[in-house]
Amino acid sequence: MKKILTILLALTSLLSAANSSDTDHHSHEGHIHEKMIDGKKLEVDPDRFDKFLVGLEDAQVAIVNVQGMVCDFCARGIEKTFKKDEKVKKIDVDLSKGKVLIAYSLNEEIDFNDIKEKIVMNGQNAIDMQVVSL
Amino acid sequence: MGIRVILIISLASFGLDARPISYSGGSTLMGHSNNMKDSFYYHYSPSYKYSIGIESLDDKVFGDSYSYTRLTYLINRKNTELSQRNLYFQSGINTKDLNNNFYGVHGDWETRRFFVGFGFKQVENQINDYEEKYIQMGLAPYLGEYGDFHTWLMFKAKKNSLDKKWSNYPVLKFFKGNVLLEFGYSDVSEWDTHLMYRF
Repeated sequence: MKKILTILLALTSLLSAANSSDTDHHSHEGHIHEKMIDGKKLEVDPDRFDKFLVGLEDAQVAIVNVQGMVCDFCARGIEKTFKKDEKVKKIDVDLSKGKVLIAYSLNEEIDFNDIKEKIVMNGQNAIDMQVVSL
Repeated sequence: MGIRVILIISLASFGLDARPISYSGGSTLMGHSNNMKDSFYYHYSPSYKYSIGIESLDDKVFGDSYSYTRLTYLINRKNTELSQRNLYFQSGINTKDLNNNFYGVHGDWETRRFFVGFGFKQVENQINDYEEKYIQMGLAPYLGEYGDFHTWLMFKAKKNSLDKKWSNYPVLKFFKGNVLLEFGYSDVSEWDTHLMYRF
């Protein structure tokens, strides 16, 4: 009986620890948007950003601040351009925040000048960029 | 009769000034129809700074058909965090007669909520040259996200130097994905519709 109780206690502790670990992990992923990058808080829509991260592993996300994105046609042009880039794993355009989210593999070097050029070719201006590694 | 033809040509250009240049490498198809004629316009943008295209016009009243080779050039653009301001040069040459052409400027300022635009066009033909101008303003009653269904409530006022009076009318604009649909109603042209597809 004592043995059974000990085993049950051990199992309970293990499950509790595993659950706690899952919770912590989830909590960490769900609050990446609260990270400070280069002393600045990420100015992203939390829900949209978390949705963007779903399915991304071993990746880094460039959050690009873009001026002049006032309609879907602007967004579509940017999306189409970056989708042609084989280094880009995923892209999303947040019109309300004026941000473009671009996911790359961790081993890729992100070239802000290349991003700026692509956005200028679509008629908008990229002002600055923050990079978050997952 | 010449004046009526010219008036029809000018009315056919209603709405075609919206989004005159695509993103680099983008193409745009536009269809326009009212009770007097149908217009079909295709343009390609090698760069965000200009577009080249052809506009084919079918005159329902006189059974006449003609085409314009068109060029639109972005003279100036100012992007800010919340807005974009544009100034364009536009021109067209009748493919049947090089002496029939038009040129002008139009501009706009817009945010996701507000739109203000204006245009001026000089049309030269061998019958009676004329000019036209317009102002347009609009409001988006709600702000949708990228990919949502967007709606604009607009007002347009237009004057033709041959007609000598302003034509004022409301315009409803709907926008989703690659497609834009615009309805306007004028006491001169009655229902006026404009469909645009960008790819």
